[in-house]
Amino acid sequence: MVVEYIGQALVNLADPFILLLMVGGIFLGILMGSIPGMTATMTIAVLLSFTFTMEPSQGMILLLGIYGGAVYAGSIPAILIRTPGTPSAAATIFDGHPLSQKGEAGRAIRVSTIASFVGGVISVFALMFFSPVIADAALRFRSPEFFALAFFGLTIIVSVSGDSLTKGMVSGLLGMLVATVGIDPVTGFHRFTFDIPELLTGVEFIAVMIGLFGIAEGLRKYSQGINSGNDRVDQEITGVFPSLSDLRSIAPVSVGSGILGSFIGAIPGAGGDIAAFITYNEATRWLKDSVPSFGEGNVRGVAAAESGNNASTGGALIPTLTLGIPGDSVSAILIGALLVHDVNPGPGLYQEEPVLLYTIFVGFLLIYVFILIFGMLGANYWARLINIPKSHIWPVILVLCVIGAIALRGNVFDAWIMLGAGVLGYAMRLRGYPLAPMVLGLILAPIAEENLRRSLVLSGGSPTIFLTSPIALVIILLGLGAIALPAVRSIRANA
Amino acid sequence: MVIQKVGAVLDRIGLESVRSSPLSVFFILFSVVVVFFASQFPSGDGVGPSFFPIAVSVGIIFFAGIDVLTGSETELEISEFDFKPAAVVAGFLVAYVLVMPHLGFLVSTMVFMPVVLYYSNIHSKLLLAVLSIGFPIALFYIFGRIFLVRLPEGIIPVSRLLPQLPLAVTF
Repeated sequence: MVVEYIGQALVNLADPFILLLMVGGIFLGILMGSIPGMTATMTIAVLLSFTFTMEPSQGMILLLGIYGGAVYAGSIPAILIRTPGTPSAAATIFDGHPLSQKGEAGRAIRVSTIASFVGGVISVFALMFFSPVIADAALRFRSPEFFALAFFGLTIIVSVSGDSLTKGMVSGLLGMLVATVGIDPVTGFHRFTFDIPELLTGVEFIAVMIGLFGIAEGLRKYSQGINSGNDRVDQEITGVFPSLSDLRSIAPVSVGSGILGSFIGAIPGAGGDIAAFITYNEATRWLKDSVPSFGEGNVRGVAAAESGNNASTGGALIPTLTLGIPGDSVSAILIGALLVHDVNPGPGLYQEEPVLLYTIFVGFLLIYVFILIFGMLGANYWARLINIPKSHIWPVILVLCVIGAIALRGNVFDAWIMLGAGVLGYAMRLRGYPLAPMVLGLILAPIAEENLRRSLVLSGGSPTIFLTSPIALVIILLGLGAIALPAVRSIRANA
Repeated sequence: MVIQKVGAVLDRIGLESVRSSPLSVFFILFSVVVVFFASQFPSGDGVGPSFFPIAVSVGIIFFAGIDVLTGSETELEISEFDFKPAAVVAGFLVAYVLVMPHLGFLVSTMVFMPVVLYYSNIHSKLLLAVLSIGFPIALFYIFGRIFLVRLPEGIIPVSRLLPQLPLAVTF
């Protein structure tokens, strides 16, 4: 059966248009990832509107191409100008930039390309192997277990959402509050719609995401000075392949970081930056006698961070596709992209859309093969992308945000929602509120509310239903632990 | 010891805390309004439509309250930011979306782009022309003609003057 699905996926992917979308997505991802401040999340949120009228498989391949390309390319400015293109490339700076200072930027970028490929491919295999198992187990879930899962998703996201637990909680709860707008799913009562017809189906959360990640980031950039941080790269990057000794040196650490990064990526909310820091840290612990030392231009450090962050991409898709719980903010947007096409991520997806799933798996594998080829052949050109002034890009992004919101339902109302979310997101960013929990709250609140209320109907209003289901109980306890642990740490640190 | 700690916290409650955490205070006030509206929803059987909005709002009041009490909003990098350019660009965006239903997507974008580009210190006439005219037309073809998205037409039907695409490239 699986072989049959893979065969159908390969037939889908042989379509020249889908290949064009894949390559175009990778180029766009590399372009945006190479420019500091342009995150994978923002790029995907802004360009999501291009996929609305596509087939789900076409749209997902385009978005995954952008995702993989951006996460890979984030390492290029990290190595060359000590500024990560995307947050997940922050750990690449530690050894990548010292290599660049020694005049070995090309070597660092080639190592980063190989490690990104290894990490990405391992994560796709992890996705292909673990997803069916988890989805199969989750098929037995009923309302209490789904409520527990949504609760867990909310708590763990908040617990890893930045410096402030309380701000993360407020952000997540605000997202949940926005999600209550519209027709109540159980009674049909109109909540907070104020007789506005566009609000009957609720606030379009894709418009909110475009505002939070596109407009808010743009306003923030204008606040900092639109042309600030425009570093120039003049270092010539020559050569195509890494040396055999470098390959031998990075092979074990790339594989190890790929496996670890896939698991970290699969934890809802962890994301590529956490994966990269953990894999880098593990590499420094296991290989502490490495020469040169970590932090002084060790290619193994570059490989550990890059394999780890790229591995988180496939890992993040595991809970996204099997449980409908996003692994990171990018996969939250991917959930939105699927929902636009009436495809519901979750355990039922394996039965309803197996060919789409295998097209995503095999397509993502192919994306990493293309990234390897483009990374090797084009390193010198990607490095030049850093020189594009941000003042040329932001006005274009602002227009794309507006048209993206309008394209959702063909009305200007969603552009107002998007602008409102953008201004709120800007104020929240300035005040240190993380935005990712808000998006996750938006996505998880309807699952949490619907299943909470259904569970209580089943139990005749008794909350003990969550205690009598062992799976729900364990998941809820894990969620409470996820809140308690950082809270205890924070109290201890302040004591 | 405990009394001293409680006293220290109480000292921090006051106008200064509120001033240093305006967004948290706003979220608290907003949540109070939400609770007021939600409490008027019909109760229904068991957990009604008001339960979730009220529970979530109470959560916001609680956590934003902690933020106000601890004054953690003061740990900011606001000094690095200049609000004026963001306010100006936000103003441009509001004007852009406001006039779009009247002028249409193409014309309003052709007006918005040069204004924002000029404000972003782009003074090259060639670049201004390409991004202000070529980019909106390209977007119009991609969204309006290929993806068949219903873009605002406005009172000036400029888009009707543009040539149609061959049917083969439309979805």
